[in-house]
Amino acid sequence: MAASSALRDLRELLDLKFPDAVPLQRHRTEVVATGIDELDGIFPSGGFPRGRLSVWAPGGGATAVLRSACRSAVAGGERAVWIDGGGTMAGAFWDAGPILIRPGSRLQALRAAESLLRSGGFAVVVLAGADPEGTENVRLSRAAHESGSVCVALTSSATTSALRASSSIRPHGYVWRRDPHGDAAAIDAATIEVRISSLGWNRRARLVLPVRRDEPRMALPIDLPDRRGAR
Amino acid sequence: MSFLCLHNPAWLAEPPVTLHAPLLTIVPRVLSAGDLVWADLRGLPVRETTERVRNAFTAHNAIYSSVKCGVASTAIAAEVAARYSQQSVTYVRAGYDRDFLAPFPATVLAPERALANLLDGTGVEFCRDLARLSQESVEVRLGAEGVKLWRLARADDARRIFGSMPRALPEASLEWTDYAIRRAERLVFVINALFGNVCEALKSRGEGALAVTISFALANRTTLDHPIRAARATAGQIAWMRLVRLEIERIVFPDAVTGITLRVDITSGTGGRQGDVFDRGFGSESAAEEALGQLMDDQGSIGVEPENSAHPLLDRRTAWTSLSATRLMERAHIYAASLSRNGETALTLQLLPEPQGISVATFRRRGDEIPRTYRDARATYDIVEAAGPDRVSGGRWDDAYAREYFRCVLEDGSLVWLYRDARTGLWYLHGWWD
Repeated sequence: MAASSALRDLRELLDLKFPDAVPLQRHRTEVVATGIDELDGIFPSGGFPRGRLSVWAPGGGATAVLRSACRSAVAGGERAVWIDGGGTMAGAFWDAGPILIRPGSRLQALRAAESLLRSGGFAVVVLAGADPEGTENVRLSRAAHESGSVCVALTSSATTSALRASSSIRPHGYVWRRDPHGDAAAIDAATIEVRISSLGWNRRARLVLPVRRDEPRMALPIDLPDRRGAR
Repeated sequence: MSFLCLHNPAWLAEPPVTLHAPLLTIVPRVLSAGDLVWADLRGLPVRETTERVRNAFTAHNAIYSSVKCGVASTAIAAEVAARYSQQSVTYVRAGYDRDFLAPFPATVLAPERALANLLDGTGVEFCRDLARLSQESVEVRLGAEGVKLWRLARADDARRIFGSMPRALPEASLEWTDYAIRRAERLVFVINALFGNVCEALKSRGEGALAVTISFALANRTTLDHPIRAARATAGQIAWMRLVRLEIERIVFPDAVTGITLRVDITSGTGGRQGDVFDRGFGSESAAEEALGQLMDDQGSIGVEPENSAHPLLDRRTAWTSLSATRLMERAHIYAASLSRNGETALTLQLLPEPQGISVATFRRRGDEIPRTYRDARATYDIVEAAGPDRVSGGRWDDAYAREYFRCVLEDGSLVWLYRDARTGLWYLHGWWD
């Protein structure tokens, strides 16, 4: 018996035994897309689920993806807020769109996340740099559920999350530009491996993201004209 | 009766401005106009108030004893009574202003010379002659100016002698004399009750307060004013009390408090802007703004936007500008209209709030010291590949800086930003790409 026919028989048997059950792939929940097509395809419903707490392990391009999700929500006429609990967001690389909140402490960041979620006025609330622990996770989940907003925490602990995601970059996944000597000079892009898991769901994807770098002015006080190279 | 008009030809040379202050203790509004002084009698007992006004004049200066008064429900009747009546005080019965004006010559209505000639030519001598005509006939023969005069002759005076009254902002106060309070909790209790009244008044006006001043009357007969400002206009008692609790702990009272006055300084409408059916976030806008406002009331100005300069050092390039909840919402609305869903998604630098000191093992590459491994307080990290150095230097005197930046890929794939302070030789972890 071919594998395909066995699978078909199994589906028919499941339909017979559990007529009201709906396959996971056909579950449709309201989502906010990440704005990255390759990535949206591996989410259970095509994006971050509304009314649920999702967690994304820090690092490996997590910030880039979540900022893209915020931009997607704002471009759709909704509001997104980024709670920078760790104060790590570099102003030079901040793109206008989401509302940026910089609380003074971890607790204040959690309070901000909860109250903004409960207001129901934000489609996406991203909590970065403030790991929720124990009951704090429960409170955030409840707030997200009550408001119908997407809540994504950049944390490794995922006790009550509906969706878990992680991303990583392999050491050799960077696209380097080399100097004439063959030494590394600049990084153009990085290949990111993303893993999305949920109940009965485990998908992976690989995407290439550009690396934005700071172009240093290389010396001179800012109030002096740069005359290097001038004759 | 609404208008009290006082007339004295001497006021043309010397307006009685010094009398405004005593008059304002009797009537709410006073206006000097040439040889006339107007007083607003609305809601006041007419004869009693008129007598008090006259007494104020005579008590102040004997020259004012020649003042003549006209009291009427229309300004024109009061003015004619004051100017042309033979009596020192003339009360025009309410509803009979037109009858009062009827026997006076039409010239008391102060027509322009051309119009006066026209009236003279058509045989209109008295106010009653003019009032008797139809509007159409006056309009055809005398024009728009004639219609105005015709209206005055009929005691139909639309002039606004007094401007509109400014609305008093809500305030509430409480004083006690038998005891003095020093404890903040009891003061909060009183302030809470006062805010209850003030917030009710604000809600009934459809407004919210943006700034409130609490005046503490002290036992040493001085007053301590403490202004409080909210991030957004609100009539919410809970929001204001949250601010009060934060503020009152910082106030140092020189003496015990014997009274509190709560005064609203600035108000603003609490109504939302015009809706947009294509704006998905419009329905929840007020809730979002309210939440942001409360958050800022609780935690301070945490809603920020970067303002970037051209400083060579990334960590000194950004000044974070605090925005109010309203401004944040306005910005969000603007960006919603201008952003594209398919903007560039890229790994960007994340900066540590303060560069973290590390120890680094290096190797030489074409004369430069390139990091091979680094160690922080927790572990040692092997560097797979490093690009750099990117040298940044500048500043003067104590503010001088010289750094060599390296972009390093670690064994776990992280891309970190290290630098060596060329002035001290120390190494730092400054950030990472994410």
